Amino acid sequence: MSKPDQPATRDDASDRAPSPGASAGGVQPAVTRSGTAAGSRWPRLFAHSARQLGTFGGLIGLCLVLWILTPHFLTVSNLLNIAQQTSINAIIAVGLTFVIINGGIDLSVGSIVAFSGVVMASVLARAVPVPIAVLAGLGAGSLCGLINGVLISFGRLPPFIATLGMMSVARGGALLYSDGRPISGFGEGFRWLATGEVAWIPVPILLMIAVYAVAHFVLRRTPFGRYVFAIGGNEEAALLSGVPVRRYKTLVYGASGLLSGLAAVVLTARLNSAQPIAGISYELDAIAATVIGGTSLMGGQGSVVGTLIGALIMGVLRNGLNLLGVSSFVQQLVIGAVIILAVLMDMTFKRPKR
Amino acid sequence: MKIPSVSLLLATCALVFSGCNRGDPAAGGGAGVAGQPAVALVVKTLNNPFFIEMQRGAEEAAKKAGVNLIVQAADREVDVERQMQIIENLIERKVDALCIAPSGSREIVPVIVKANRANIPVLIVDTRADEQALAAAGGKIATFIGSDNFDGGRLAGAFIVEKLGGKGNVAVLEGIAGHETGDARLRGFKEAVAKAPGIKVVASQPANWERDQGYNVFQNILQANPSIDALFACNDLMALGAAEAIAAAGKRGKILVVGFDAQPEARTAIQNGTMAATVAQFPARMGATAVENAARLLRGETIETFSPVSIELIK
Amino acid sequence: MNAPSPVLSLRDIRKAFPGVIALDGVDLDLQAGEVHVLLGENGAGKSTLMKIISGAVARDSGDIVFEGVPVELTGPRHAQELGIGIIYQEFNLVPHLTAAENILLGREPKLFPGVIDQRRLVREAQQQLDDLGVALAATERVSRLSVAQQQMVEVAKALSLNARVLIMDEPTSALTTQEITELFDAIRRLKERGVAIVYISHRMEELFAIGDRVTVLRDGRHVGTRAIGETTMTALVRLMVGRDLTEHFPKREAAIGEEILRVEALRRNGVLHDVSLSLRRGEVVGLAGLMGSGRTELARAIFGADRIDGGQIFVHGKPCAIRSPRDAIALGFGFLTEDRKQQGLVLVLSVQENICLPSVSRLARAGCTQPARETEMTAQRIAELRIKTPGPHQRVMNLSGGNQQKVVLAKWLCTEADILIFDEPTRGIDVGSKVEIYQLINQLAARGAAILMISSELPEIIGLSDRILVMNGGRIAGEFTAAEATQEKLLAAALGKN
Repeated sequence: MSKPDQPATRDDASDRAPSPGASAGGVQPAVTRSGTAAGSRWPRLFAHSARQLGTFGGLIGLCLVLWILTPHFLTVSNLLNIAQQTSINAIIAVGLTFVIINGGIDLSVGSIVAFSGVVMASVLARAVPVPIAVLAGLGAGSLCGLINGVLISFGRLPPFIATLGMMSVARGGALLYSDGRPISGFGEGFRWLATGEVAWIPVPILLMIAVYAVAHFVLRRTPFGRYVFAIGGNEEAALLSGVPVRRYKTLVYGASGLLSGLAAVVLTARLNSAQPIAGISYELDAIAATVIGGTSLMGGQGSVVGTLIGALIMGVLRNGLNLLGVSSFVQQLVIGAVIILAVLMDMTFKRPKR
Repeated sequence: MKIPSVSLLLATCALVFSGCNRGDPAAGGGAGVAGQPAVALVVKTLNNPFFIEMQRGAEEAAKKAGVNLIVQAADREVDVERQMQIIENLIERKVDALCIAPSGSREIVPVIVKANRANIPVLIVDTRADEQALAAAGGKIATFIGSDNFDGGRLAGAFIVEKLGGKGNVAVLEGIAGHETGDARLRGFKEAVAKAPGIKVVASQPANWERDQGYNVFQNILQANPSIDALFACNDLMALGAAEAIAAAGKRGKILVVGFDAQPEARTAIQNGTMAATVAQFPARMGATAVENAARLLRGETIETFSPVSIELIK
Repeated sequence: MNAPSPVLSLRDIRKAFPGVIALDGVDLDLQAGEVHVLLGENGAGKSTLMKIISGAVARDSGDIVFEGVPVELTGPRHAQELGIGIIYQEFNLVPHLTAAENILLGREPKLFPGVIDQRRLVREAQQQLDDLGVALAATERVSRLSVAQQQMVEVAKALSLNARVLIMDEPTSALTTQEITELFDAIRRLKERGVAIVYISHRMEELFAIGDRVTVLRDGRHVGTRAIGETTMTALVRLMVGRDLTEHFPKREAAIGEEILRVEALRRNGVLHDVSLSLRRGEVVGLAGLMGSGRTELARAIFGADRIDGGQIFVHGKPCAIRSPRDAIALGFGFLTEDRKQQGLVLVLSVQENICLPSVSRLARAGCTQPARETEMTAQRIAELRIKTPGPHQRVMNLSGGNQQKVVLAKWLCTEADILIFDEPTRGIDVGSKVEIYQLINQLAARGAAILMISSELPEIIGLSDRILVMNGGRIAGEFTAAEATQEKLLAAALGKN
């Protein structure tokens, strides 16, 4: 992978605008044009969100096409249906977005979903209050994620390797723990997490919205978020700027595990069953949503809003193809094509013109 | 920069949709052929010849019965959540009847309840929905169309006992754990061999319904137990994989291989002598019966709550 | 422009990038066998011109005439085929292949189709290296070669393409004095073979040592071409910056106060051996030495970036355990790294995000970052340091080298660091920005900071420092006051000769 946005003009063009009229005198506050900080905010804001606007436009366009092709698409119940179906992938993809911006990868999310699911289900089966069982599930997910994080930041394992290992370990753990059998049949209280509604909106959708709101805030408005970007952009520079790199890297994988655990809660409540074989290849769906959403696999760049749009594009595509009665083979083909197209679009967008 | 790429995306999507749409008039936004009811058949996966057969049978029956048939499946047999999504989407599309071959006996229950709420009759094919879970959730199904997998397993077990003269070492390749179909076959098989004290089950390992895993797992079993006389695989794909492993180990003809499903390839293998027997399930008949029953139901007729499809051993 | 027909001549070249005119009617003639120095501040248009010659960037208008024939360069490959080679600062070598494999990469001699003639490959590559006068086995892996040797592999690679024109971008920036001498020998051999060389460098001394003619660019315009023998350094600087730089090393009244930092017997196995030093308030201490003498390693060890195996660090007289850069920063350290792009900056982030990176936690209120305060702080530093950027939200990768360096500096101004370690602060920076950075160092010292400055440019060290330490083999090999230091004495100490 080449660096997509190496500017051709680094040395020559970009900073020529203000005149190089620095005098040989002291360094008194100079009135250069760079002082007009506020004025230059808009271009950057635009540049920042232009990619997202593009993806969003794609989503809207897709919806328009489906609206024309089938009367069943644009109904309130179908849109809620899509949002609900998207929620699991979308929640996992938030964690992956953090990990990928941070310059890593997490292949273990699908297996962690299965592991946290069976742990939570086994606690539920002992007639423990629902919140405690949910906490157990979230805890199991976080634990797996933190182990990933420790292996990567303190053990200095490449993220690909550490999470590949965890992918197998968590899956094996889930199978072992559950003796290979699904654990099913839960009370209404727990099932509410998937079937319940608040103000006509299904709970999984509300959970998804809450997760995105928090994640967006954390990424954009907290030191943690800033460090995620900085570490992904240049780990050495971040370290030398006093960023506790290892701590935050560990936390990022922990967060990914936690969100996988949350996805497991929704999935288990939805199926009324926790399967040790659940979540196979969920990591690929989540990576796809993240990439369609414009997060760079090189690290240092990306947004959760983009990821949400990416996850919705995948959900809408699958829903639409089902509504149209298109075969599952074609679906795989289309999703693959969209991923490639989205990244191509990204590259053309960022590549400097000659 | 932005506008062209978006329109490119759009154009591609439009192209794909219209292309798919043209090829399958029944699948269009409207009701297809005017006045014909839409029946959906959701199978576990279309990577498995068993379900392709089922699809073929269903399609033939649909033509005769005058219904529009939509066949859908998840990419992988184990992906229960994906199957659930497909069914939800079909409910949104307001199909008139749903025939489902569940990927998970218990996991399918919530979506059956959803279909009930939308007043869409549900016909279960091949794999039973868990009755307890269904009752607990207040879900209703119109009928179950399938063979008795337990009986099939028993047939296979009895065959092996007979062939080995009541004495020998037997290995088993299981499907995915916790899967009603596989469990029933296994239980039937074990009951049959338990009657013959000379038969020892020396290994029983899952190969997850897949051919390549059947090969690998059986190769490993052979390493640990070179003196195996017979193998029962819970489906033909695993049996065929194991047969390859046997050939590779130079033991062709020395190990009795019994599969399940009677796929065309397995029938050929029996003729060649690489497999000894398989249990025939007639998936095409299942698919056809499901669609016929759905059509009758939609005409207002009553149907049986269990429509057995016969099962027999092919040697 | 009076000699016989030039190998390559450019006429009235123009190139605009969105919002900026990078080249505005530039002429350039290259004669066979000359070293033509291209001079100009960062942003003057040197890189763009170079990229146009090598086919990496297309011009907007103007003529390119190569050996008397007007050409339309379609890409780097086309330029290469014509005989125009370029050696970038960052080499394009495959580290795990041998020198020979790199030199003939993509053009390997074949035994028969699909099979490489390994012996001929080595023989031909070795011939190229020998012609250059480089003592280097073509079978050596590139990853095991020194920077200077890798550069020679690059030169040999260009020559194996029968280059008639060779562009060298800052070829000496990472070389030792000895290696520079060897490079110049090789360049002279190339001249004898009639190769025209475009030589880009910020080091004025070098152009008088190796150049034949010099062309000066300013703000994308051609401001003059001179024969080296007929010009002076002062005249060239005036052409470059459009004004006189009266003082190369601005003077300052040193007001040296109490000791802020004391390092005792610092040890890092195999790298640093019992290094002791102290820094006082208002003092600039130069740290000289050859490459590999342990200067950067010392800086990193003090800053907590590398583990230490022994020794004690005292800040304001109190013993401190510095286990990470975070600890160091909390104690008031700041570290301007040698390699800005690899270690100093997060290039994909904005000016503001970079400047505020060490301060973001301190500025945060109730766990939230304070964008308004950050922008205010950044704007203040942009103004103070005259960072040329369209605004605080510009990505750092789009700034020139000098401005990037100022961004790194701004980081430490924001943390109000009072012990500053500068590792090669002016490397790869043009003359104008250099002077600004010198002034800044002086200002920081005048405000009461203590500064440890690593530099390979001896005039810079002598000109700026109050005291100079020289390292050799991981030890302090000498200490001089500013008054007694001369280049000869420092060099002798660096070479371990006293």
